[in-house]
Amino acid sequence: MTIREKGYSHWDGCLSARPRPWWPITRMGIGLMLKKKPFRFFYYGGFIPALAFLIGIYISERIEDFRYLTRGSQKILEVNPAYFKAYFTSDFLLFMLVVLLAVGGAGLISEDLASNSLQLYFSRPLKKRDYLFGKAAVLAFFILTLTLIPGLFFVVFKLLFSGSFNFLSAFPWLPLSIIGYSGLATVFFSLYGLCFSSLSKNRRYVSLLIFALYLLSDLLASIFYDNSKNPVLTLLSLKINLQQVGAGIFKQKPPFPVPWLWSLFVLIVLASAFLFFLRRKVRGVEVVK
Amino acid sequence: MMIEVRDLHFSYGRIRALEGVSLSLNEGAVGLLGPNGAGKSTLLRILLGFLAPQKGEGRVLDYDIRREQAEIRRSVGYMPEDDCWIAGLDAVRFVAYFGELSGMPRREAIKRAHDVLFYVGLGEARYRMIETYSIGMKQRLKLAQAIVHDPRLLFLDEPTSNLDPQGRKEILELIKDISSAKNIQVLISSHILPDIEAVCSAVVILNQGRLAAEGNIQSLRELRFRLYETKIKGDGGVFRNRLEENGWRVEETEDGLTKIFLPEEANIVDLFRAAAETGVQIRHLVRSRTSLEDLFARTVGVD
Repeated sequence: MTIREKGYSHWDGCLSARPRPWWPITRMGIGLMLKKKPFRFFYYGGFIPALAFLIGIYISERIEDFRYLTRGSQKILEVNPAYFKAYFTSDFLLFMLVVLLAVGGAGLISEDLASNSLQLYFSRPLKKRDYLFGKAAVLAFFILTLTLIPGLFFVVFKLLFSGSFNFLSAFPWLPLSIIGYSGLATVFFSLYGLCFSSLSKNRRYVSLLIFALYLLSDLLASIFYDNSKNPVLTLLSLKINLQQVGAGIFKQKPPFPVPWLWSLFVLIVLASAFLFFLRRKVRGVEVVK
Repeated sequence: MMIEVRDLHFSYGRIRALEGVSLSLNEGAVGLLGPNGAGKSTLLRILLGFLAPQKGEGRVLDYDIRREQAEIRRSVGYMPEDDCWIAGLDAVRFVAYFGELSGMPRREAIKRAHDVLFYVGLGEARYRMIETYSIGMKQRLKLAQAIVHDPRLLFLDEPTSNLDPQGRKEILELIKDISSAKNIQVLISSHILPDIEAVCSAVVILNQGRLAAEGNIQSLRELRFRLYETKIKGDGGVFRNRLEENGWRVEETEDGLTKIFLPEEANIVDLFRAAAETGVQIRHLVRSRTSLEDLFARTVGVD
């Protein structure tokens, strides 16, 4: 292969400051994640609950047609805020979000650390916050497509299937709850995934850490709660905190007798800690070693 | 002026990395030299806008190093020493991606990525995954990403490290072409002095955070010292000790030559006087061309 098969020519365009400098990072990150088969498998698998709940909404409106399934019970498929809370705080959905973090999100920063590409990013007119926001937006995209988008679809389909706005006039705050809970879950999981991703150059190790925190926190909370019956100890569990906050936002009774605001506080403290460590681990000055 | 800094000071806690460095670099390729810990990386960090100097001021391509850091990084290209890539990308997408991050429109960045990949000799391999590239190809790819946005100034950090002789020759040829024919100023930080000598017309030598030498290589050679190659008869050890007492550097080569570095203030007569006083005959005396290696060793005080 000879060099300079073609000569170098100067570019006559003008380099300009982008209004959203993080956007190319997000677009590239989404594309690279979707190229990974395991990630695609789990991501599409994450839509199973949404599909099931959507069918549930359809059945609830056509309950007469499905009477033989419900054995006469009128309440078996009532679509109300509890139905939405059940979707957003289901063990399966929360677990799938953690799986997505472990399978896809784990590599977002750790692979950049392993391949030294941070040096290339930060030699560009990018600020650290642009880089982190671009990476967080990758996770946010996938999390929102599994939370906010299905949630809003449920409302729209409920209105379409029922043919009236009665549902929305009965619960006018519901879209805000959907947006609020989806936003909270997105921010929390994005920071959770990115923080762990910045801890090591080894993506597999990061995946293990992400799983370990989620599962061990739940295990510890269960053990302590079973032994002491003190509900405050359930605050140790990430999953239970998310479920408590979900119940609070959808105006439902929390699963444990602890104020849901306490769980919200725990999640905010954890998210702040994730952000703190993330900012310390990703440093632009390391560009020149 | 490509780079102009005055009285730069920077410390990492108690460790002083730069102490009163003042430079002004003009067009062409300039080599940045210095032993480990001399302050080269800190200077590059300041010039790229990652660190603000604790004292002093400066401009890179007329942008202020304290206030216009984003503009500096938009206008310069940087090729790091380490292997850098993004797994799962081919070379075109990789180079275009960094063009886009520099502020190029996406379509332009893709078009330009093809051009620069041809220029650096990766045209045929541009759709291959980067993970499959050899070290030499990765080095060229790093150069391609550094020039994709057509920078006015290029920082190259050890551009020929880990390369085989042929790869090294090709990269040097490219750098020479970029700096001489393409009107892009180049600042090369390297430990491989023959490479600097092959490509650069000027050097900056840092030592212990201070500027040890700066200027045109040819004139620095002349100004700093003169190199004489001698053959002697007699007790070489005594003669050598005598010269070293004068503060002159003396080296003995494998073929029996004694290389004597005379400081600019010294006189050749002093050499003969030392020989006479130590009972040594000088049988051969030739004024020799000093290499950059000699200049570097003499300037930073290492062998």
